[in-house]
Amino acid sequence: MSAAATIPDTPLFDRAGSIRGYRINKMAMALGQPANRAAFKADEEAYLDSFGLSAEEKSAVMGRDWHEMVRLGGNLFFILKISAVDPTPITRIGAAQASMEHEDFLHLRLGKKRNG
Amino acid sequence: MAKIIGGLGTSHVPSIGAALDKGLRDTPDWKPFFDGYEAGKQWMRDAKPDIAVVVFNDHGNTFFLDRVPTFAVGVAETYNPVDEGWGPRAIPAFEGAVDFSWHFVDKLVDRHFDPMVCREIEVDHGLQVPMELFFGRPDAWPVKVLPIWVNTIQYPIPTPQRCWDMGKVLREAIESWPGDERVVILGTGGLSHQLQGARAGFINQAADRAWLDGIANNPEPYRAMSREDYVEQFGSEGAELIMWLVMRAAMNSDVNLVHKHYHAPASMTGAGMVVLENAA
Repeated sequence: MSAAATIPDTPLFDRAGSIRGYRINKMAMALGQPANRAAFKADEEAYLDSFGLSAEEKSAVMGRDWHEMVRLGGNLFFILKISAVDPTPITRIGAAQASMEHEDFLHLRLGKKRNG
Repeated sequence: MAKIIGGLGTSHVPSIGAALDKGLRDTPDWKPFFDGYEAGKQWMRDAKPDIAVVVFNDHGNTFFLDRVPTFAVGVAETYNPVDEGWGPRAIPAFEGAVDFSWHFVDKLVDRHFDPMVCREIEVDHGLQVPMELFFGRPDAWPVKVLPIWVNTIQYPIPTPQRCWDMGKVLREAIESWPGDERVVILGTGGLSHQLQGARAGFINQAADRAWLDGIANNPEPYRAMSREDYVEQFGSEGAELIMWLVMRAAMNSDVNLVHKHYHAPASMTGAGMVVLENAA
């Protein structure tokens, strides 16, 4: 199916994305294991290198650039594990992808009342 | 023959489990959400099922992209909660309805489905959270489970029609099972949410509310919808709703919508529940 091209601002995780994002997702998937979480925390770049990430991919991960990680084929369900190691609320990850301030995102997209 | 005593639909947002773990049930953000599930929990206490069939998707916790089954069925004796990155959760393991699960596999293949059959596998929040929402936090789960995984992560995901067809086989398996177990079917996922791309945070409350009534009283349009329609109306991850069709197709054409609840947002998701019983 080719819905990726037909629904605006909605990347579907299709064959191209799965192939493009394989390394970054495999690296993130491995964070389900405590030993890998420890390795990530101890030396993040060495951990990323051990999964063969490109310079571009490493830069996106180390900069916690969620928009870029998704553009490079990262699937949110995998890369969310990075936010388990380096705590980041999912709404901030959402706001980053929408290129919105967090408070604006909560209000305008999720319909939450503004604080104060 | 075993008996279908109810069809339930529910969201399975991971933040729900995290909120329970952190004791946030009665905070302003969460109380309205959890309060709405009390009727469903009470229904479950009264219904006293023996087996829960849980239709859900893995979220990159149990299955990686090295092998992606479109449908997988568990036949394990025990399903442990998987570590999703935050460490193991303090909830009991799930006991499998082993013989019944194998019977379902037999029926599926007889009816030309080709599931992956899983003998040793862990389960993520897709199964955990619905069980917590309807059974609370017991020391041991009061039912055995039959897990059905549906790929909703990597395209191509199955068509809504295919999910519907699986529900028909599920019903046949339950009705041809020689035991007298009482079975509930949980279709899980949704409602509208989108976690990826510039449309992240998309919630469609009108479509969600229409879904909760429509899945009970007029499911045909949802069966006929394309996957693209689901993504457009419910968001990229909201397409998980196709899994409710497995549950709905296993029920009678006419059902009673016994309980219904909707709350948005739960984390980044329009969250909802239905309890359906077969009409006499």
